[in-house]
Amino acid sequence: MVVATATIPMMAGQLIGASLLGVLAFFFLLPRPRGQSLALGTFFGLASLAMLFTLLFLQFGQPSSDDVAALLFWLFACVALIFAGVLVAESNPARGAMAFAFVILSTCGLFLVLAAPFLMAATIIVYAGAIIVTFLFVLMLSHVEGPSDENDRSREPLLGALAGIAFAGLILFALLSPGSGLAASQNGVLPAKVSHHPLFIPPITPSERQLLLEVAAELQKAEQMDRDQLLASDYTQATRDQLERLLGGIPDAAATDALTWQQRLALTRADPRVRAIIARVDRVRDLTRETFDQVDVALIDEMPPNLDRARSALKSLRQEILILAGVGELPSRNVGTIGFRLFSEHLMAVELAGVLLLVATIGAVLIAGRRGRIA
Amino acid sequence: MISLGHFLTIGGMLFAIGLIGFTTRRNLITMFLCAEMMLQGVVLNLLAFSRYHADLSGQVFALFIVTVAACEAGIALALFVSVYRRSRSLDISVWQALREPGLLPIVDREPLPPPIQDSRDPHLPVAGRKPQRQEELSRV
Repeated sequence: MVVATATIPMMAGQLIGASLLGVLAFFFLLPRPRGQSLALGTFFGLASLAMLFTLLFLQFGQPSSDDVAALLFWLFACVALIFAGVLVAESNPARGAMAFAFVILSTCGLFLVLAAPFLMAATIIVYAGAIIVTFLFVLMLSHVEGPSDENDRSREPLLGALAGIAFAGLILFALLSPGSGLAASQNGVLPAKVSHHPLFIPPITPSERQLLLEVAAELQKAEQMDRDQLLASDYTQATRDQLERLLGGIPDAAATDALTWQQRLALTRADPRVRAIIARVDRVRDLTRETFDQVDVALIDEMPPNLDRARSALKSLRQEILILAGVGELPSRNVGTIGFRLFSEHLMAVELAGVLLLVATIGAVLIAGRRGRIA
Repeated sequence: MISLGHFLTIGGMLFAIGLIGFTTRRNLITMFLCAEMMLQGVVLNLLAFSRYHADLSGQVFALFIVTVAACEAGIALALFVSVYRRSRSLDISVWQALREPGLLPIVDREPLPPPIQDSRDPHLPVAGRKPQRQEELSRV
């Protein structure tokens, strides 16, 4: 096997080459009365795309170890970028809307590769409606025969292309430079064809998830007991035991994290993916201790005993455990887990989005309904 | 295994191409579609990070982006109708009187090319006879 190596200057050179080709492509493709050249623009655009994909492959390796997923990624990425170029360069807005539909469909394919089936379906549905409405508007508003100012002229094609491509080039340079941590580099040498950051090994095994769900069910049962049942039952010890087996020890209030922080740091450095899960496990562990303390205080120490507070503490613990269980269910049960998080963690944002939709509807009716002066 | 950099790159490229379209094109509808494409690039970024951290927060945020995009589409299309009523054109440069003070106006010097006569359209020859109307025999 030939191990191709690419140095940082070589990477920068390839990047600059691809960017220049992209600028030329958009310069020639953007519509205007004189100087537009479809053949040259298409040629430069395809060359830039090929160079970009070569650069990606050399620096990041295959997108996926699974051949089917890799093929789907390259296919959808290629179609998305090509039709994005068509949307920008097409002078007929109806054809532009068609190209936009293809961009949406292929990004939805990328969503599916990223294990977001619900979002894929939602995006297709929302944007299918949006595109049909846009078509309606194109047919209604632009019945221009022949060339027109709005479709066949561009503002500053060269400067616009330069600005956009410079933006993309800077983003790519930041991604590819060794400081980003995405492209592993040793002494300026980038090993080729290595997938540096594999995504998604199931972080929580199915049996662990099953246990978490059982604990959550027990807690739900405990929420409905009254005070005597709560004090009589041994749910506390059982739950503690199960969580301890699962999460590796619930610290007492006095115990600090001093023992585990080195292990945790090593794990985090080795695999940044684990960081979010470790944080969540820590939160559940701390919350378990706090919850049981609170329940004890609320039921035993306070006079009269505060049953509501005990119940709400148990409920918040149950929610955290369910979310932790949902982390392991990223590809499957996508809809259920998203729904749970929407209505538990982001309830306020959901309400705000509803208000925003209402305000937008009222605003659209007001703006479109106003009779303007016809010039 | 899927790597993060690929998806971030594609998202960034979609955003940049949308940016080019938004800054250069003059048709309001095309500009609107380009802005939507920039949003798609952002959503792709969020989903890639969501998968990378095995945390569904990214997908939840992407859902909110879709909501905001729907609001934006409604308001934008209503504005287009209103603007079209006043100027009978979808050209954004018609409204360049709203620019900052001190900026020179953009004047289109190049004449537009003449419309292309498409001769491929089929021409139907006049065929058949005009049907005779029957005379009404009786009039009231």
